[in-house]
Amino acid sequence: MTTFEKTDDSVVVIIGSGAGGGTLANELAQKGIKSVVLEAGKRLDTSDMENDEWTMFQKISWLDKRHSAGGWHGAVNHPNLPAWIVKGYGGSTVHWAGVALRFKEWEFKTRSTYGAVEGANVEDWPVSLEEMTPWYEKAELKMGVTGKTTGMPHLPWNNGFRVLAEGCRRTGRTDYNSGPMAINSVERDDRPACQQIGFCMQGCAIGAKWSTMVSELPRAEDTGLCEVRTDAMALKIEHDETGKVTGVLYADSEGNQHLQKARIVCVAGNSIESPRLLLNSASSMYPDGLANSSGQVGKNYMCHTSTGIYAVMPEKVHMFRGTSVAGVVGDDVKHDPARGFNGGYYLEFLSLGLPFMAAFLEPGNTGWGRSFSRAMEQYDRMSGVWALGEDLAQEQNAITLHGSEVDQHGLPVPIVAKTPHNNDHAMTAHMVESTSQIYDSVGATDIYELPPYPASHNMGTNRMHADAGKGVVNGFGQSHDIDNLFVSDGSQFTSSGACNPTLTIVALAIRQAEYIAQEMTARNI
Amino acid sequence: MTIRFHRLKTSKKDHLGVSRRMFLMTTAMAGVTTGTMLGNRAFAAPLDAGQDATLLRMIQDIYPHPDLLEVSHYQAIAEAVISNAESDAAAARDLREGLARIDAQADSLFGTPYTGIEDPDAREGVLRAFQHDGFFQGVRWTAYFAIYNNADVWPLFGYGGSSVEYGGYIDRGFSDITFVPEGPSLEERMAQVQG
Repeated sequence: MTTFEKTDDSVVVIIGSGAGGGTLANELAQKGIKSVVLEAGKRLDTSDMENDEWTMFQKISWLDKRHSAGGWHGAVNHPNLPAWIVKGYGGSTVHWAGVALRFKEWEFKTRSTYGAVEGANVEDWPVSLEEMTPWYEKAELKMGVTGKTTGMPHLPWNNGFRVLAEGCRRTGRTDYNSGPMAINSVERDDRPACQQIGFCMQGCAIGAKWSTMVSELPRAEDTGLCEVRTDAMALKIEHDETGKVTGVLYADSEGNQHLQKARIVCVAGNSIESPRLLLNSASSMYPDGLANSSGQVGKNYMCHTSTGIYAVMPEKVHMFRGTSVAGVVGDDVKHDPARGFNGGYYLEFLSLGLPFMAAFLEPGNTGWGRSFSRAMEQYDRMSGVWALGEDLAQEQNAITLHGSEVDQHGLPVPIVAKTPHNNDHAMTAHMVESTSQIYDSVGATDIYELPPYPASHNMGTNRMHADAGKGVVNGFGQSHDIDNLFVSDGSQFTSSGACNPTLTIVALAIRQAEYIAQEMTARNI
Repeated sequence: MTIRFHRLKTSKKDHLGVSRRMFLMTTAMAGVTTGTMLGNRAFAAPLDAGQDATLLRMIQDIYPHPDLLEVSHYQAIAEAVISNAESDAAAARDLREGLARIDAQADSLFGTPYTGIEDPDAREGVLRAFQHDGFFQGVRWTAYFAIYNNADVWPLFGYGGSSVEYGGYIDRGFSDITFVPEGPSLEERMAQVQG
């Protein structure tokens, strides 16, 4: 395995090995560009993936100290788990379910489409769907997304999705299918076809689901041009007197600190750690943190307006059999102000195992008793969805640093504040109503509404904007303030869109790699 | 935050009957044979006399599954709670005092110890007053893991659990229900993505 000297200042240092960082590392490597990936967690492979919800939660989750804050229920019920993301080789692509949807055209132009929204901080992206389309196609080919780009058929329909789909048919919906998913329905790209194992979000045990763990990172390492350094927690990005970044200080598993020199630094630690690192890198030259002349670092934290909705059917469903997110309903992905809210939402069939159903049916101290237990006895007759829709950016929703409490590395712990906008309440009510209609049409006897899970879709805290005063990075994820500092993860997002963010993160990373190569060749960075 | 239950139609099964049956069965046992069922453990420590029955009744009322679980399962959870308390003096005191407060609350409202309240909803109402207390949540989460995160119990709830060792659910009923139409065939799915 290739290793680079810590004094080698010709490498690109990438912080994080997930959808953004892992993809970027491989894209750069394929272009002959050297990189060191600093991954805070440990090395993982498919042999680590067990079909057990809590075992895998303990094994792969990011469990370093964090505080939930703001007006969402998690500030009470999930006080130290604001987000459900991964610490390990492959980042949160180990956990993602594989849904690979593109943004809609208007979702890149939310300010132009919605106008100014009171209490929100809605802006347009500096890129359009037209500009992104070829990059989406590259991402779909790379990841193996079922659908027309690859010609790979969507997955077979499992029990739980068949119930949802029949409800969609009976209620006049037309946009429902078992894809697009970045899960092989046939053997492709040295990865096997899905065996309907379930436990997609506990890490695919056979590698049928695309992740940087099985795909991008090993391929990057195989080139000899990429070193993935695990158990390497980035502490601070350093810069020189001209303001250019020069390297990254990190801690190894024993807590020893090292400085890895760099020509370029790309931050891809997900939307909590990425702004946290920029804020923790404050210096006399950049007292508010790196890349923060706009004051937007850490602001505009978005995580999708969401709710879980489970229906009890008259007969057995056994929803846990097969792909965890087995189908997607897109009929409500539209901007229709007559509905009383901005933006659209998806309904995605999502199975939970018995342990997680019992933990999330009614999270917090109150989830017990006769009604609860009665609901759990209906588990094998349930089908349900995770409804997710556009979450409007708000400055008050933010990642900030605790004033006194520090983590095991001595860094201030992050506070993750999230308060729903009225738009979220109106949209959530609509989600529940739509889903109830769908399941009622197939004979549902009970509908259970679950409050939002700790977020796996975290976005917006280093957002793109054409105007350096309103965003942290430009349309290529390059910091407005520091030319050789990039943001490469979902924290770049200007708006959340309704869809799962991974495909867009990967498409942006492929595009960013092209831009970095071009700028390196031109000696601009 | 409480869950919103959207009851669409009347459910077939009435749990009152089975809960009452279980109540009678277990209080009888708690009164007569709890010591035997728990292996003649000496309850002087960490619990006070009679508190073992309160604890057992409490666990049954936290997650009542009289049709699915045997009383012995709840007994095992009670044992685990007691065993945890034995190694933690502060937790033992919290548990002992908490159970005493449950009985005191039951006595003030109904003039009987907790185990003497026949109406399961009334018992749940008594417990609700303590649900944010540490001792209560300690008992509750011990019960949660022993019931819902227990592979031996999963089949009783119709949950299949791990499948990778059996080759997944692809040949084990992932698409076997008959009350809704089948999904599209491979040929139909292929046709969708062509052209």
